[in-house]
Amino acid sequence: MNKRDPLEESPPGLTSRRSFLDILLGATLFAWLGSMIYPVIRFLIPPKQPDLNVSSLDAGMADAFKRNTAKILRFGRKPVILVRKKGGEFKALSATCTHLDCTVQYKDDTEQIWCACHNGLYDLEGRNISGPPPKPLTPFNVTVKENKIFVTRDESA
Amino acid sequence: MSVTSWLQERFDIAAVQKFAAKKQVPVFFGTVWYYLGGVSLFLFILQVLTGILLSLYYQPGAATAYESVKFIVSKVEFGWLMREIHSWSANLFVFFIFLHMFTVFFSKAYRKPRELTWVSGMILLALAMVFGFSGYLLPWNELAYFATKVGTDIAGAVPFIGSFLTQVLRAGDEVSGATLSRFYSIHTAILPLVFIVFLGIHLIMIQVQGMSVPEAQENVPPEKKKTMPFFPNFVVRDLMLWLIMLNVIALLAVFFPWEIGLKADPLTSAPAGIRPEWYFMFMFQTLKLLPAHLWFLEGEVFGILMFGVGGIIWLLVPFLEKPKYTKLWTSVGVGIVLYMIVLTAWGYLV
Amino acid sequence: MHLIVLLYFITSVNTFGQQPEDACYQCHLEIDQDQDADDRLFKNYLQDIHVQRGFGCADCHGGDPEAFDDEDAAMWDNDSYLGELSPLDEVKMCAKCHSNPTFMSKFSVSVSVDQESQYWSSKHGQELKQGNEKVATCSDCHGVHGILATDNPNSAVYDFNVPKTCSKCHSSKNYMAGLLDKTDQYDDYVNSVHGVALLDKQDVAAPACNDCHGNHGAAPPEIGSIKEICGSCHAQNRDLFQKSHLNKIFKDRGIPQCESCHGNHRILKPSDNYLKWDGGVCVKCHPAGGKPKLLAAELFNILDSLNTQLESANLLVEQAEIKGMEISELYFSLEEAHNALIHSRTAVHSFNKDFLLEAARPGLTASADALAGAQASLNEFDFRRKGLFGASLIFSFLALLLYLKIKQVESSKRKDTKHEK
Repeated sequence: MNKRDPLEESPPGLTSRRSFLDILLGATLFAWLGSMIYPVIRFLIPPKQPDLNVSSLDAGMADAFKRNTAKILRFGRKPVILVRKKGGEFKALSATCTHLDCTVQYKDDTEQIWCACHNGLYDLEGRNISGPPPKPLTPFNVTVKENKIFVTRDESA
Repeated sequence: MSVTSWLQERFDIAAVQKFAAKKQVPVFFGTVWYYLGGVSLFLFILQVLTGILLSLYYQPGAATAYESVKFIVSKVEFGWLMREIHSWSANLFVFFIFLHMFTVFFSKAYRKPRELTWVSGMILLALAMVFGFSGYLLPWNELAYFATKVGTDIAGAVPFIGSFLTQVLRAGDEVSGATLSRFYSIHTAILPLVFIVFLGIHLIMIQVQGMSVPEAQENVPPEKKKTMPFFPNFVVRDLMLWLIMLNVIALLAVFFPWEIGLKADPLTSAPAGIRPEWYFMFMFQTLKLLPAHLWFLEGEVFGILMFGVGGIIWLLVPFLEKPKYTKLWTSVGVGIVLYMIVLTAWGYLV
Repeated sequence: MHLIVLLYFITSVNTFGQQPEDACYQCHLEIDQDQDADDRLFKNYLQDIHVQRGFGCADCHGGDPEAFDDEDAAMWDNDSYLGELSPLDEVKMCAKCHSNPTFMSKFSVSVSVDQESQYWSSKHGQELKQGNEKVATCSDCHGVHGILATDNPNSAVYDFNVPKTCSKCHSSKNYMAGLLDKTDQYDDYVNSVHGVALLDKQDVAAPACNDCHGNHGAAPPEIGSIKEICGSCHAQNRDLFQKSHLNKIFKDRGIPQCESCHGNHRILKPSDNYLKWDGGVCVKCHPAGGKPKLLAAELFNILDSLNTQLESANLLVEQAEIKGMEISELYFSLEEAHNALIHSRTAVHSFNKDFLLEAARPGLTASADALAGAQASLNEFDFRRKGLFGASLIFSFLALLLYLKIKQVESSKRKDTKHEK
C-alpha cells in the first residue's frame, strides 16, 4: 500500500483508489475463479482410451454357421452384424443403427436388417430402405479361409 | 438492487442482513480460535466437491477399485490433483476439528447455553473419523486392506455386539469386495447425509448463540472490550484464511503426493509397518501396549471399553462439569492431550 | 520321500555301524593305518556305493574274503586272486556288472548299461585299445575305493565337479605332453558364460564339459554336428541358422558352425558388436567386405537402434518414476521391448535383414511408446509445478487484496465513527 498522509482528507482520491481496489479485486476474483474451474472442466472430459487396434476378427467356422441367420460380433469396441444369406454367402455390416445408435438385428422372415428402437429397416447390402435411419450401414469385408471366417475393415468404405 | 427487492418480496433477506449486520465478533487474544471451526467447514466443503468429482470415475469393487484410482491419477487430467486434494484435506480436516474441539474444551465454550453445540460437534468429530476409516479402504491397496482387517477385527471385541458389528462392517466373515461396496456406500451416501444434518444443527446453534467468550475476557470492563462486525470484517478474514489454506493444500498435493501402493491381495502377508491413519494411532498403540489379560477382561476388550466410556464422558462434559471443579477438568484435558501426543509419537517411532 | 530317507538311514547305519566281515579289509586296514591320512586306501571306503550295497574287495580283486588271518589262503594260493588291475582290466572289470542289464536291474530299473560300449567309442577308449595307458579309465573320473553315486554332490562327476575332474589331466602340460597340445580348456571354460553360470551361479542347467563332449563317449564333436550340440539348448538359433543361406556354405566348406563366431571353451556373452566390421566376427571369413559387410552393418543397425531406443526409454521412465509420477503402465511396454530385443538377437542368426526387422519392430514400437509415455509424464510433472506456481500467484494476490480490503473497510469505519463523534 502506498504511504498515506494521515492528515490528508481527500474524498475524490479515496473513492478513486477504493474503486481501483475493487476493480482489481474483481479481476483477481475472476482469475481465481478461472484457476478453480479450469481443472474441474478438464477433469470432466473423459481421457481418450487407446484404440483397440483391431484389423481382423476370427468369426468362427463357416460350416457351423447356419444359412439365413446372423450373429453380432465385437469388432474392437463396436458391434458388427455377420449375416449368412440364404444362398450361403456372408455379409458383414456395422451393427450400429445410423439413426440413434441402437444395435440392429437380422429378420430371417423378410431377410432384412431391422432396428427395434424406431423400426428402421436396411437391406442386406446395408442400404437404409425404410424408417428413420438417415444413412446406410458401413460394410465390412468377409473372407473365408480354410473354413474359417474372418471379418476385416473395409478400407474402401 | 432490483434483484434484492425481487428477492425481498419472496424471502425476508432483510432480516438476514439485519442479523448479519448486528452480529459482532469479540476481539481479544483468543479471536484466532474462532477461525478453526471455519477452516474445518472449508475443508469439509473441499471434501464434498473433490469427493463428487472423484466419484465420477471411481468404480467400487475388488477388481476395479484400485485400477480406477490408478486411472484417475494417471489418465484423467487433473485427476491426481483431485485425489491429492481429497486426501490432504481429509487429513487436515480431522486435524483441525480435533484442534477446534480442544480449544473449545479448554475455553469452556461448551457451557450453558452451548451444550447442544458441543454435543453436535462431538458427533461431527466421530463421523469425521468414520469418514476417514471408510475412505481409507476405497483405493483397495495393501495398506488399507490390512488396516481395515485390523480395524474391523477390533470392532469384534466390543462386548455383546462385537461379532455382529464385524459381520455388518465386513459384509461377511472376511474383508472382501463386499466390504468395499459397503464402505463406499457408507462413505458417499450414509455419512454425508448424517453429517450434513448435524453440521446444520451445529452451524445454526453457533449463529443463534453467537461467539462464546471465555470467563477471563467476560470480566474485562465493557469500555475495554473490542469487537469487530461479523460481516464483512470477520467473513473476509475467514475467506482469506480459506484461500491460504487452499494454496497450502495445493502445495502439499504437488510436493507431497500420497502413494497408491500395491493392490490389495488377500493372499499376501501383511506388509511390515502396517498402521492405521494417524488419528487412530493413539488408540491402536494403546491396544498394542495393553496386556493380553487385564483384571477379568481381555486386554483388547478393556481398551475398547475404556475408549468407549471415555468418549461418552467427553461427549457429556457440558452436563457433568461443575464450575468448582474447573481446574480438575482442565488438568484432565491436558492429560488427555499429552496422552494422545505421546502415544501417537510412540506408535510412529517404535 | 520319508521312506527314502528312512532306507538311507538304515543302510548307512548298517555299514557305518559294523565293519564289513571281510578278511581282506581287516588285514589291509591295519596296513593302511601306517599310511599318511591322505594316502589311506580306505579313506572313503565305507561311503563307497558298492560297499554300501554289500560288495567287498574280492568282488573286484578276487581272493578269498573268508580266509581270516591266512595271507596265503586269501591271496597267493587262491586262483581267483587278481591283485591290482591294469587300466584295461579295470574297464573290463567294471563292465562285468555295469554292462549287464539283468544284474544292474537289481539295483535300479532305469539304470543304463551302455557305458562300456560308449567308452570304447571315446577318444579315451580308443587310445587305451592302442595300448596308451595314460588315458582316463573309469576310476580316473569316478574314483577308487570311495566311489560315490553320480547324483551325490561330493562325487567327482557331479555337475559342479566335472570341469575340475577333467582338468586334472587336461590342464596339465606335463601329463598331456605328446598327447594333446591344448591345455587351456579349463581356464577358458571357467571364464565363459557357461562356466560362470555353472560354477559361480551354481546353475545346474548350464553345461559342463560332458554336456558337449559326452561323458563315457567323450570325444571332440565333429564339425558338422556342432550346431546340433549347441542347438540342444539354443534350439531357436540352430533352426534359424539352418534355414539361413550360410548353412549350405558352412557345410560345403567344412566350416564349424556356432564356434566360428562364438568360440568353443571360452564362449562369452555375445555382444551386438560381433556384427560390427572392426573387431567383429564377420570379417574373419569376409575380409574383402562388400555385400557381407553391408548386411552386417544393416543387421547391426537394427539391433543398435532397438537397443539405444530401449536404453533411453529405460532412462526416461526411471526419471519419471523418481519424480513420483505414476508410470507403472510403461513397464509393460519396456518389458515388451526387452523381450523383442532378446528375440531380435536370436533372429540375427537368420542373417536376413527383413526377418530381423520383423522381430525388432514390436520392440521399436513398444520402446517408442514407453519413451513417449515417459516424456509425457515428465512434461506433466513440469506442468504441475508451473501450474502450482501460477495458481499460487493468483491465490496470494487475491489474499493480499482481501487483506487490503479489510484494512480499507476498517479504516473507513473508524473514520465514520470519528465523524459521528
